[in-house]
Amino acid sequence: MSAPSIRETGRWTGGALPTNVRLGPGTVITGDRWTESQVFRKFASRLDPGLVIGAECRMDGVLFNVGERGRVTIGDHCRFEEVFLIAEQEIRIGSRVIIGWRSTIVDADFHPLSPAERLRDVVACSPLSAGIPRPSISCRPVVIEDDVWIGPNATILKGTRIGAGAFVEPGAVVVQDVLPRTRVLGNPAKQIGEV
Amino acid sequence: MTATPTRIVRVDGNRAIPEDWYPGTVPDNAQIDATAYVGSSYSFQRCRSELPIGVEIGRGASLCDATSLDIGARGVVRLGEYALVNGARIICDTEIEIGDYSLVSWDVVLMDTYRVPFDPDERGRALVDGTFGANPARPIRIGRNAWIGFGACVLPGATIGDGSIVAARSVVAAGVPPYVVVAGNPARIIREQIRAR
Repeated sequence: MSAPSIRETGRWTGGALPTNVRLGPGTVITGDRWTESQVFRKFASRLDPGLVIGAECRMDGVLFNVGERGRVTIGDHCRFEEVFLIAEQEIRIGSRVIIGWRSTIVDADFHPLSPAERLRDVVACSPLSAGIPRPSISCRPVVIEDDVWIGPNATILKGTRIGAGAFVEPGAVVVQDVLPRTRVLGNPAKQIGEV
Repeated sequence: MTATPTRIVRVDGNRAIPEDWYPGTVPDNAQIDATAYVGSSYSFQRCRSELPIGVEIGRGASLCDATSLDIGARGVVRLGEYALVNGARIICDTEIEIGDYSLVSWDVVLMDTYRVPFDPDERGRALVDGTFGANPARPIRIGRNAWIGFGACVLPGATIGDGSIVAARSVVAAGVPPYVVVAGNPARIIREQIRAR
């Protein structure tokens, strides 16, 4: 009987991965002079796993800003470049997805919308708060299905689902669901065609 | 900020910029005028043009260092005289021309190609095989004395007329006539006839 094959796992060129990160074989996370040290600087997930990336992905200068209760899942054969992934709850991305330079995917509002709640939140964020808990922030998962293309400078906001094969033009701001195999452009993003 | 002309030197047969923070070189097919300013070889890291001239930087022009010229084998990027490009991402597989006296701000994306097939199945196969063939590209032409505000995107085939302004964060997918201001995503004309009275 032949020896069991040793499965290669992915790596981060910047050093040792947080223990709750799983990378599939052939996946490489890199960064340049500016981004290398930022990749996991705001990765605070206490879930295990808090980040899962499948096989053969290339993540160049991607920022994984994941909150304590947040999780990011990414499929196989994806390519992201200097993308900001901000997850307080969940960002789920399929396989063969391309996301362009300086795009942002975010599943939360960061702060409450109501002025009174927001005031409480601002105080809780202050160094003077002495650990007062912050009010809850609205979060809704973002789902990006297989074979989606997202151009540079795009923004994908909370609670949206981008259907399989969709094409999101550069600079688009996605605030509602994008149907599979459609092409969207603008702020707010609107359908301009099919692919 | 007043930039001074960059003196490009030869180090071990390669062209280099003195006191460059980035450990790269300037490709031989980058034709840089002796009076131009080039901040760093970082800008040429993704430059793969195989044409005799892949980058042309005119008299008194400036290419500031956070700019990235992502140029494919058949691409050429031209900066006219006194043109100032300060931290843009330029994705070029055919031709991108930035006219004399034009300004291009930080985080601007100028792309003459999407670099991928529109068909998601084809795109998926290309990702899995790692072979992206030639995809259609349409030149971008920016006229003289135009101004592209920060974070704007200029899409394949778009043209910007002389003297026009593209407001920050706009997305230009079509032709912008001379001497107008466009804003929004997609960009629309918000002011016309801005030629000096």
